[in-house]
Amino acid sequence: MTAKTSLMTAAPPPAAARAPEARTLVFCACALAVLALGAVLTQTIANPYVFFAAFIIVQQVALATGWNVLGGYAGYINFGATAFYGAGAYTGAFLLKAYGASIFLCLPAAALVGGGLGLLMGYMTLRVQGVYFAIATIALVVMMHTLVLNIDYLGGASGLALMPPEPPAWTGGQVQFVFLVMLGIAVLAVACARWIEISWVGRGFRALRASEEAAECAGVPTFRLKLSACAISGAILAMTGAPLVFYASFIEPETVFGLALALNAIAMPLIGGKKSWPGPIIGAVLLGSVQQAATITISSELNILLVGVVLIGFVAAAPDGILGLVDTLRKGRQ
Amino acid sequence: MTISRRRLGKLAAATGLALAAPAVWTTGRAQNRPIRIGASFSMTGPLSSTKAGLVGLQLWRDDVNAAGGLLGRQVELVTYDDQSTVAQIPSIYSKLVDIDKVDILVSPYGAVLSAPVMPFIKQRGRFMAGMFALAGNDGVKSDRYFHSAPWGPDAKVNWARGFFEVGKAAGCKRIAVLNADVEFAKVSAAGGKTAAKELGQEVVFEQSYPPNTSDFSAILRNLRGATPDAVFVCSYPPDSSALIRGLSEVGIGDSVKLFGGAMVGPQYAATLQALGSSLNGIVNFNLFVPEPTMVTPAVTSFLDRYTAIAVPEKLDALGYYIPPFYYVAGQLIAAAVTATGSTESAAMATWLHANPVKTLVGTATFNELGDWTERRVLMTQFQGIKGNDIEQFRQAGRQVILDPPALKSGELAQPFLKARGA
Repeated sequence: MTAKTSLMTAAPPPAAARAPEARTLVFCACALAVLALGAVLTQTIANPYVFFAAFIIVQQVALATGWNVLGGYAGYINFGATAFYGAGAYTGAFLLKAYGASIFLCLPAAALVGGGLGLLMGYMTLRVQGVYFAIATIALVVMMHTLVLNIDYLGGASGLALMPPEPPAWTGGQVQFVFLVMLGIAVLAVACARWIEISWVGRGFRALRASEEAAECAGVPTFRLKLSACAISGAILAMTGAPLVFYASFIEPETVFGLALALNAIAMPLIGGKKSWPGPIIGAVLLGSVQQAATITISSELNILLVGVVLIGFVAAAPDGILGLVDTLRKGRQ
Repeated sequence: MTISRRRLGKLAAATGLALAAPAVWTTGRAQNRPIRIGASFSMTGPLSSTKAGLVGLQLWRDDVNAAGGLLGRQVELVTYDDQSTVAQIPSIYSKLVDIDKVDILVSPYGAVLSAPVMPFIKQRGRFMAGMFALAGNDGVKSDRYFHSAPWGPDAKVNWARGFFEVGKAAGCKRIAVLNADVEFAKVSAAGGKTAAKELGQEVVFEQSYPPNTSDFSAILRNLRGATPDAVFVCSYPPDSSALIRGLSEVGIGDSVKLFGGAMVGPQYAATLQALGSSLNGIVNFNLFVPEPTMVTPAVTSFLDRYTAIAVPEKLDALGYYIPPFYYVAGQLIAAAVTATGSTESAAMATWLHANPVKTLVGTATFNELGDWTERRVLMTQFQGIKGNDIEQFRQAGRQVILDPPALKSGELAQPFLKARGA
């Protein structure tokens, strides 16, 4: 039996199969409900600040979920999330500047660029694992940063100020529109992560995470899976970056390729739990909300310290994040 | 039930009073509530050295409140830390306007952080005092944006023009341009090349370098080979320090008469103290220096009060570059609010476009983009610096103003090598 068939045809028993289908239906209903709720909120909440803050939090959800596909499921720690995020952001900026493109064109284009970059990175780091892979991803950020600095059309070091096209009238305004788009991206990213988790691809990623050598010996197509993880993660991260220029009307390399964003992308799944799709959501909502609140209530130095302390606390006390902690407590009670 | 006419009258009066009371009460409250000024400051992150500006704005607030406030209302500052990050700016300014309901906005520091807020103020029609954003309004062209710093009109090209004017007077024809690969430095270098061309000078050497370059020996040797008359340097604090140290170690050649121009760093006390006498001879930009042609009792009083706060809080000990211009931003706001009798953005902007304002650093008049109509960027030369004592920079004659002519306080010391004490 080949690895492919062993992964793809391991059919669950019929009784058990109905439960996942029902759960998928519930998940789809919840996803649609979240989107509908977002649309209703844009019509009922008049204060734009809510959407400025919510955009950042929902963006964190998409970012954490995108990172978790490679870092959590496949076990490849990626410090280069901003390389993909930045590639997406600059793809959006380029298309907006060159063609006045709509955000709906920028999103698939960014996904293609991010996916391609992920494939390239996966191919280039074929034989590299663990800490060496992590270092290689940092190099990717430096390369992308340097590339953008030297492209005058993209504004180089000065950045690029662009006025996005008028949003559809029904959305209520630019920030409400961009929030809805980001909500859609986050829902799509989570749906994709969930599909990976429950499908043969997820089982393959888990085998990679447990031991690449053992998985290879067992016939798991590790190379293809690694490439897939890099490409899917890259595509999601790049899509997350694409709306940035529509949100801020400005883009510049220091922020887009900044270390803070890359660390946040890692911290959120670690805090929430990186083994399943709700983990990054919990981490992102928790960390994103705390950071937004801290930015406007206490000093940012304390905010950064707070993130550091929470991260250290989770790594030491709950290495599998909040979900892992809940699981342990539940098992202990049973 | 019957009701007498007198009782009906009393009831009607009571009902009217009850209905009118909230409106009277809230109007009264609105008239008495403080005027709120909203801003973001880079309290953390790479631009945190600019947070000394907050002291300038606080001193202005204290002065205004001590004098009875604006329109009889006290002034209150609402500020947030933007962490030197562009991504924070849209939500912070939305919060200032939509949640905190500030009356007037002051921009974040510099062109990069200001860029995301420019479309916002244009869309909302808000008045904003701009802080150090070189040509910050050239893209959006808001008629309600006013620079507190005197970069002058067409700032991208002309803000450092004084360097080339001084060079022309000193006979410099061959110009070398050296710049860091960062926003301010690239914009300055491009503007410098245009200004040099307009003054009939030839650019014979151009080199950009990655940010945080620490060893300039190879670049300086290459530069020496081009035998320029003047070297226009556009750098940020770490590379400014490294370049000046490299200059002392590697040298620059006999041909050079002028070195500097757009180096960020030698405006701050920490850099001045660290570099000390190695600054001698360098000609660089500034916005305020304590020369007799600039010092007034008002500035002296401001700087004394600033120093009393800044030194214990370990902020920039001199405070010449940024804090006075936050005070100026406050003065612009105060003048417009007082003259128009309101905090209404359109009225304030119309008044500022039409009237000059006397500020701490001179009289400001504005063009249609909110630039000062007259460029007042200083080109100063470090002279007679001994050792690393910071107090010497408070004395006149240490940063001699060469340009603009109206503020000139001394002559260019040349040749360059002699001016450096080599």
